[in-house]
Amino acid sequence: MVVAVTNLTYFLAWAYLDPRANYVGRRPPLSEEQIVNLLEPRDLYDGTPLLVRWWHWFSGILFHWDWGVGPTGQSVNEQVAYRMWVSAELMLGATILLTVLGIALGVYSASRQYRLGDRIAQGTSIITMNIPIVVAALGLVLLAIAFNETVGTTVFYVTGSSSIGVSGFFPVLVDTLQHIALPTLALVLIGYAQYHFLQRSLLLDNIKSDYVRMARAKGLTKQQAIRKHALRTSLIPVTTQVAFSIPAVFTGAVLTESIFAWKGMGQYFIETITKNDIHGVVAVAAFGAVITAFGAILADIAVVVLDPRVRVS
Amino acid sequence: MTTPVLSVRDLTVSFPSEAGRVDAVRGVSFDVAAGRTLGIVGESGSGKSVTSLAVMGLLDENASIGGSVTFDGQELLGKSDAQMSKIRGNGIAMIFQDPLTSLTPVFTVGDQIVEALTVHNPKLSKRAAWDRAVELLRLVGIPRPQERVRSFPHEFSGGMRQRVVIAIAMANDPKLIIADEPTTALDVTIQAQILDLIKTAQRETGAAVMMITHDMGVVANVADDVLVMYAGRAIEQAPVDELFADTRMPYSIGLLGAIPRVDKTEKTPLVPITGAPPLLVDLPDACPFADRCPIVTPECRAAEPALVTVGGKADHRAACIRAEEIRAGRIDGGPVYPVPEVPASRFDEVPRDLREPTLEVENLTKSFPLTKGAFLKRKVGEVHAVKGVSFDVREGETMAIVGESGSGKTTTLLQIMDFAPQDDGDVRIVGTSVADLKHAREERALRRDVQIVFQDPMGSLDPRMTVFDVVAEPLRTVGTAAKDIGPRVDELLDLVGLDPAHSDRFPAAFSGGQRQRIGIARALATNPKLVVLDEPVSALDVSVQAGVINLLDELKGRLGLSYLFVAHDLSVVRHIADRVAVMYLGSFVEHGDVDEVFDDPQHPYTRALLSAIPVPDPVRERTREHIVLTGDLPSPTDTITGCAFVSRCPLYQTLDPAEQTRCETEVPALTGRDGVHVNACHYR
Ligand SMILES: Nc1ncnc2c1ncn2[C@@H]1O[C@H](COP(=O)(O)OP(=O)(O)O)[C@@H](O)[C@H]1O
Ligand code: SF4
Ligand code: SF4
Ligand SMILES: [Mg+2]
Repeated sequence: MVVAVTNLTYFLAWAYLDPRANYVGRRPPLSEEQIVNLLEPRDLYDGTPLLVRWWHWFSGILFHWDWGVGPTGQSVNEQVAYRMWVSAELMLGATILLTVLGIALGVYSASRQYRLGDRIAQGTSIITMNIPIVVAALGLVLLAIAFNETVGTTVFYVTGSSSIGVSGFFPVLVDTLQHIALPTLALVLIGYAQYHFLQRSLLLDNIKSDYVRMARAKGLTKQQAIRKHALRTSLIPVTTQVAFSIPAVFTGAVLTESIFAWKGMGQYFIETITKNDIHGVVAVAAFGAVITAFGAILADIAVVVLDPRVRVS
Repeated sequence: MTTPVLSVRDLTVSFPSEAGRVDAVRGVSFDVAAGRTLGIVGESGSGKSVTSLAVMGLLDENASIGGSVTFDGQELLGKSDAQMSKIRGNGIAMIFQDPLTSLTPVFTVGDQIVEALTVHNPKLSKRAAWDRAVELLRLVGIPRPQERVRSFPHEFSGGMRQRVVIAIAMANDPKLIIADEPTTALDVTIQAQILDLIKTAQRETGAAVMMITHDMGVVANVADDVLVMYAGRAIEQAPVDELFADTRMPYSIGLLGAIPRVDKTEKTPLVPITGAPPLLVDLPDACPFADRCPIVTPECRAAEPALVTVGGKADHRAACIRAEEIRAGRIDGGPVYPVPEVPASRFDEVPRDLREPTLEVENLTKSFPLTKGAFLKRKVGEVHAVKGVSFDVREGETMAIVGESGSGKTTTLLQIMDFAPQDDGDVRIVGTSVADLKHAREERALRRDVQIVFQDPMGSLDPRMTVFDVVAEPLRTVGTAAKDIGPRVDELLDLVGLDPAHSDRFPAAFSGGQRQRIGIARALATNPKLVVLDEPVSALDVSVQAGVINLLDELKGRLGLSYLFVAHDLSVVRHIADRVAVMYLGSFVEHGDVDEVFDDPQHPYTRALLSAIPVPDPVRERTREHIVLTGDLPSPTDTITGCAFVSRCPLYQTLDPAEQTRCETEVPALTGRDGVHVNACHYR
């Protein structure tokens, strides 16, 4: 699957992007020959037949794990190697937080159906769900700056993923948290609501189910029955949903990273597209495919843990 | 009488709704004593479940409850959820209707039993709790309880899950067991097992039992005292023998008259109760049964009759102002309910041999491939759903196929309806073999002759089509001229007892029984010769069921129809059918004239099936011998070399080893008086 997606993106990228564009219009203008000389060794010359270019690129990955170079000669491998972790950190943190928050709110709302708490929570979620990520991020930046000014020191960094020259385990940890807080918050803010609603409606269905009534008939209080019997069954569909929403988190990350000037995969994506860096774009797509597949596998495992019916069949 | 375990006084329950306040229970009082069983009967919606949930404190929070519920000396109403949870599952246990949904799917049955134990005895060690769980499973008759205690609910059949639910109910030696329709979702042979089990549980624990049901046979089988509910009120209350022998309230009389009986040969029409129960919103101060009562008088509408003692007996009470005039279902020298007439059929006088066959089925077989794996489906075996079934249905005749769920009844019907060509057999409809159908045109022509009515009156009608469109659909399919459709639809609706003026309404506006009538009208649209009916009345309340059965009888006589009728309710089959086949695991085990088969059942399975049905007569119930089959229907994937019934056969147990070997290795053929009564047992 991942291989197929990657190759497909390769051809799509060639259809839409033109590495040549980087050199056209340079001052002083480069001659055709100079451009060819620059592009040819990088497998980016469109004079070479597409299939040959593709094979060069693909065999490079297959045999040397070499994802090629950009039009300016920088190695894709190098870029991706450190950006990958930056993005993974952000996306993983955000996914976990927004899922947990969404589920927790869903449980809260469901057990207070139609009461004030439920209505407030639902209203808030409807609003946050519809905030564009850019607005959310900028809003947070403004709030953070105001906050920093009030307390007098920089608690939240609004740009970058780490400060230069910090060492030692705890300083690095604190520094990372200071940087990661805002972009994560932005992602969580716009993403949690879907789990809130999903969890709420699933749990409500389950609270009305026969087996929850049966659990109460056994002597569990309503709250115990909900926590023990309704919650677990209602988590099963939510878990599957998490896997499917990873691409959305990824898209969100693309924008967040650019806004917060994180040198992550998302920002790389924008950068490579504007620079017509075909190999870079393809590497981003491959990364997206890998984490989606990874998410799907994790969700599968979680479902197997939660649902014995899947285990046997 | 000893002091009752449970004492309910003047219980009222109402719910808010858009139409106004729904008074679901309106002043119900009763007592249940230790070791006794109170049967509560009534049609759906009469407030039985709400009453039991009120006792358990499990009603929705929006319910307002009044009156008093005293259990073991304490008042239960007004207790908090936390206080009630100490009593639920401990002092009072409950068994619910649908065993398929009452266990949590993600926990093992052991976990769920252990939970019931530890929630009331937090000091119980884990080991001890699991030992007790195994012990309980053994008590309720789960084979190999040591292993099965770790199974998940989906690995159990419905009957076994209900056993687990009963094990949970018994876990803490409750003083009161409430069972809300515990066998309604189960087959008769399993029902018999479960009723026996509840009696055992009661004997073991000395508990009082509140048995809620709509089945008068079940009441006769288990109850000591009976409470009949109607429109949220108790309308008759008496010890069981008294209630059946000297029924006083017209509604109770109607309930008893509306049920077909498996033990009666004579076929008088059933007496349906006309109309529908009132809505429980803004009830007028009048007898709630007045609109349906055949002996209503103006005084009945003056005030709602109170539940008062009748016949000078302290323990027999009825809510009817004419109760004293009624004796044993009769008033003023005639029956309370006039017996409806069913027109004679022009085929009644024609001997069977001289009638033309409308359907001939020869060696019908159907297997489904059994696949494994989610993506790459591998075939790992075959399910033999129907194994070489042969029968014919003649003009003006009803042929019924009975059997437990999973025995292959519906598959047989669908094969016939699909005109499925047979490899090594044939299906002939009014003389045309389905193997000869070459063109879609021929197929359409044959479709006119056979139509189907489904079980679920709601699911089988498209909710977005008006009744007119529903009934007109088959007419359009066969190309009836547009100008003829309107009059024909009116005629059909009239025929099934619906008002043609209502044909522009949607199915949702009709009650269950009326919807089933719509289904019948649709089936009759093309003037078929054969109507196939898949459990047509099993989703209906008894009083409504009686009306539909009478309608089917009447239409058969009037239009000279043949029916192929599938049902699991043998009482209905006995009433409606001329011929019957008993199906077990895809084969007929007994087949013949209905009276022959029911009066003189031969095959051990038929005998068990017939004896398992409780009859609505407590005196007979007490003396009747019930053959309780052990175990469930085996899986149809198992390869069976001999008689399919061998794993459950009571006769087999009594045979000597040589005879047993024959059962195990040789498939028994249908033998006996051909065409009259045959069975497939080596030793019958
Ligand atoms: N939670 C509820 N809200 C509103 N109406 C209800 C609720 N539960 C039951 N009812 C109504 O109460 C009446 C009695 O229902 P029920 O006790 O379930 O009948 P039965 O068990 O005799 O079939 C029905 O009219 C039903 O619609
Ligand atoms: S009170 Fe009147 S309407 Fe009601 S059941 Fe008796 S006779 Fe019928
Ligand atoms: S053939 Fe044997 S096992 Fe089968 S029904 Fe007869 S006695 Fe029982
Ligand atoms: Mg009920």
